Amino acid sequence: MLTFPEQATTPSEIRKKSGEGIVIRWLDGHASTFGARFLRGSCPCAQCVSETTGQRMVSEEHIAPSVSIESARTVGNYALQFTFSDGHTTGIYSFEYLRRICPCEECA
Amino acid sequence: MAEATVTESRVLDALRSVMDPDLKRDIVSLNFIRNMKIEGSVVSFDVNLTTPACPVKERLREQSRQAVLSGVPGVNDVRVNMTAEVRRPPAPEASRIKGVKNIIAVGSGKGGVGKSTVAANIAVSLARSGARVGLLDADIYGPSIPIMMRSSGEPEMREGVIQPVEAHGVKLMSMGYMSGEMPLIWRGPMAHKALQQSLLGVSWGELDYLVVDLPPGTGDVHLTLVQTVPVTGAVIVSTPQDVGLQISMKTLRMFQQTKVPLLGIVENMSFYICPHCGGRDEIFGHGGAAHAAEALGVPFLGEIPLDPAIRKRSDSGVPVVLAEPDSGSARAFSEVTGKLAQQISIQAFRNIPLTIIEE
Repeated sequence: MLTFPEQATTPSEIRKKSGEGIVIRWLDGHASTFGARFLRGSCPCAQCVSETTGQRMVSEEHIAPSVSIESARTVGNYALQFTFSDGHTTGIYSFEYLRRICPCEECA
Repeated sequence: MAEATVTESRVLDALRSVMDPDLKRDIVSLNFIRNMKIEGSVVSFDVNLTTPACPVKERLREQSRQAVLSGVPGVNDVRVNMTAEVRRPPAPEASRIKGVKNIIAVGSGKGGVGKSTVAANIAVSLARSGARVGLLDADIYGPSIPIMMRSSGEPEMREGVIQPVEAHGVKLMSMGYMSGEMPLIWRGPMAHKALQQSLLGVSWGELDYLVVDLPPGTGDVHLTLVQTVPVTGAVIVSTPQDVGLQISMKTLRMFQQTKVPLLGIVENMSFYICPHCGGRDEIFGHGGAAHAAEALGVPFLGEIPLDPAIRKRSDSGVPVVLAEPDSGSARAFSEVTGKLAQQISIQAFRNIPLTIIEE
């Protein structure tokens, strides 16, 4: 698995844009924009990804296109947690994970 | 020749040549200079440091005095008053304990390395320097802080908030208080709840440092800690041997993965001085932690000897830094505490504010 330098997984700014999702600017200068549906479909929690096989059980296609992020909070120093409009809230998205799934053209 | 007028801006210009060796910035731009008074040729001011446990306090005092004496014409006398105010690292307001500026996690790779002894002595050393200190014993497997700090009584519950016990100038809370003499036989969710309550449900008041003594290794309690509060940084206690065996590395990596800055490694049981012949014996080897720290780019905070006095004082409830402050072991702890306080101050200026901007 690709490992990132510290700078690439440390945010310098986190913005929650109403209706659009989350924008994170990283210390290495890169910026990632995450849509609400994409984030919901990338949830790393044990209900969405099988703990034993690592297989994803809930992905973007299972999520209503209208899903939105109702609130976002930081977890300690290392992650974000979201409350989605479908009530799902159990995923802890580490900054390392968020950087790894950055959907921009350059990264994807 | 007209006598030079001493002005505040001239004094400040002269003080710009004095650098804080840790923060690598001058003491004026760091906003350390307070309460300046100029009376004729006599200048007095406070230098407000970032920790009362600062090991370079006297050096900065002398440098400040000299800078003004030699750099500002017309000054005959300089009175420097050293004060301290522990700065709070920038972190999200919502998830932090009200009134607590810094949370220091003390961890180890395995049990039996003297983690709690080190945590207790660090807490008491910080308090002795004048800081306001809390000590949270989060070791569910073997809560030993109440014995080491000889705290009598148990925390009381007032209006749904736990009032911590106080011992040796340190506010205490321990998982050991939650069960009396019964062992804590808890599944993860219980440990999680108990720690959250010990962090957020305790009336800690205003604290400069909250030292958290973690269980050995990595597990539920560690995860709860790093997910519940922004931890300022972590200290790893190891023996020379378990670093060699790579055990401490796992704990170290856990903190790295959860973005808790590593404040440093302490090597405990570093060497033994024979009380009969005075010979030095390195029972578990020596220097393992220093080498590991260097290889990982983590500060090495110091070596604590394997000294029967440390064990005896811990068992009797008065940590060695208080019971025998002039002993070699107490001095070793003070040195470790000073270096740790420096690292915490550095973090306070380095951390990146993690706030979510809502648009």
